[in-house]
Amino acid sequence: MEDPHLTDDEVVSSVLNGRKRDFEILVRRYSGRIIHFVARMTADNDEARSITQDVFLKIFQNLPYYRRENNFSAFIFKIARNMTLNWLNRQKRTVFMSRLLGRDLGRDPFRLDPPRLSPQEQDERQDQVTRLLRLLPEEQRLALVLKVYLEFSYLQIREVTGWSVPKIETLISRAKGRLKKNILLQESGGEQVVQARKK
Amino acid sequence: MNCQRIARMLSARQDGELNPALERQVESHLCACAACRDEWNGLQRVIERLRLPLPASDPFFPTRVMAALPERSTGGLRFLRAVAYALVFVLIVAGGFFLQMDSGSRSLPGPAAATFSAVLLEPQDLGLLSVHDDTLSLFAENSHE
Repeated sequence: MEDPHLTDDEVVSSVLNGRKRDFEILVRRYSGRIIHFVARMTADNDEARSITQDVFLKIFQNLPYYRRENNFSAFIFKIARNMTLNWLNRQKRTVFMSRLLGRDLGRDPFRLDPPRLSPQEQDERQDQVTRLLRLLPEEQRLALVLKVYLEFSYLQIREVTGWSVPKIETLISRAKGRLKKNILLQESGGEQVVQARKK
Repeated sequence: MNCQRIARMLSARQDGELNPALERQVESHLCACAACRDEWNGLQRVIERLRLPLPASDPFFPTRVMAALPERSTGGLRFLRAVAYALVFVLIVAGGFFLQMDSGSRSLPGPAAATFSAVLLEPQDLGLLSVHDDTLSLFAENSHE
């Protein structure tokens, strides 16, 4: 199915001309990176697959609105970003309501879980990263995830987020500073105290 | 260049975002300054710690996505639906206008009223263009009488 000779724009044209099955080329081309992005943002691998599936449905529905002069990668990651942030906001509301009602309706994505021992080193590493990223404010996390895991340039991040380059630079730099402190605390066995604030 | 300025540029350097001239300045400063080198190594450790491989690919994921897709991309349909709603709106406004002009002299004949209700009941029906013509001709007949 994957045809390396077809550009994203050519695949989009083909899908819009009625070859719906060509959409699978885009799914195969981008699903790994979108799942990676969503998983790092939500700290939930299972949810990341479900959100990514919805992201592709949304992309398919919005293909007629894609303009060729824009970067297709930015177009789809903008959709992925919006859907991920919506999911995070819904989670926050759920946590807020559960606290309000004095019930534990689900897990709190922003609470630090006690360290979970895993037999696999990779799992352990993933848990550590998940905990570290969860402590970052949403904007810092978004900028850092786009930079580190998708290797986007600041200009590409600007296309996805709409932020200015100096703001992106500041967010990433602060995120790294915060992570550095938390890694030191993690290594010394202390509690992670540099918690996420609003921004 | 002082250490404070260098410290602000280290993150951008790590991200590959410095221009070559600044890159050279930072590099020569790092060779000479142990404190900034420590800072730099700290940042490198952060990124090293964050590195994770891409999640294992799920061979069935594309199939699941394809199975969940709607029959066709809905953008075009949405446009047609908007046009249909706009036409219905125009019809209603025009109908109301004609009815008001005509009220007092005579009541709307049975078939015209039925046609009008059909328009109101089936706004998404794209066949309403022909209904529209019928309605207008009926109104035209009424106004000639």
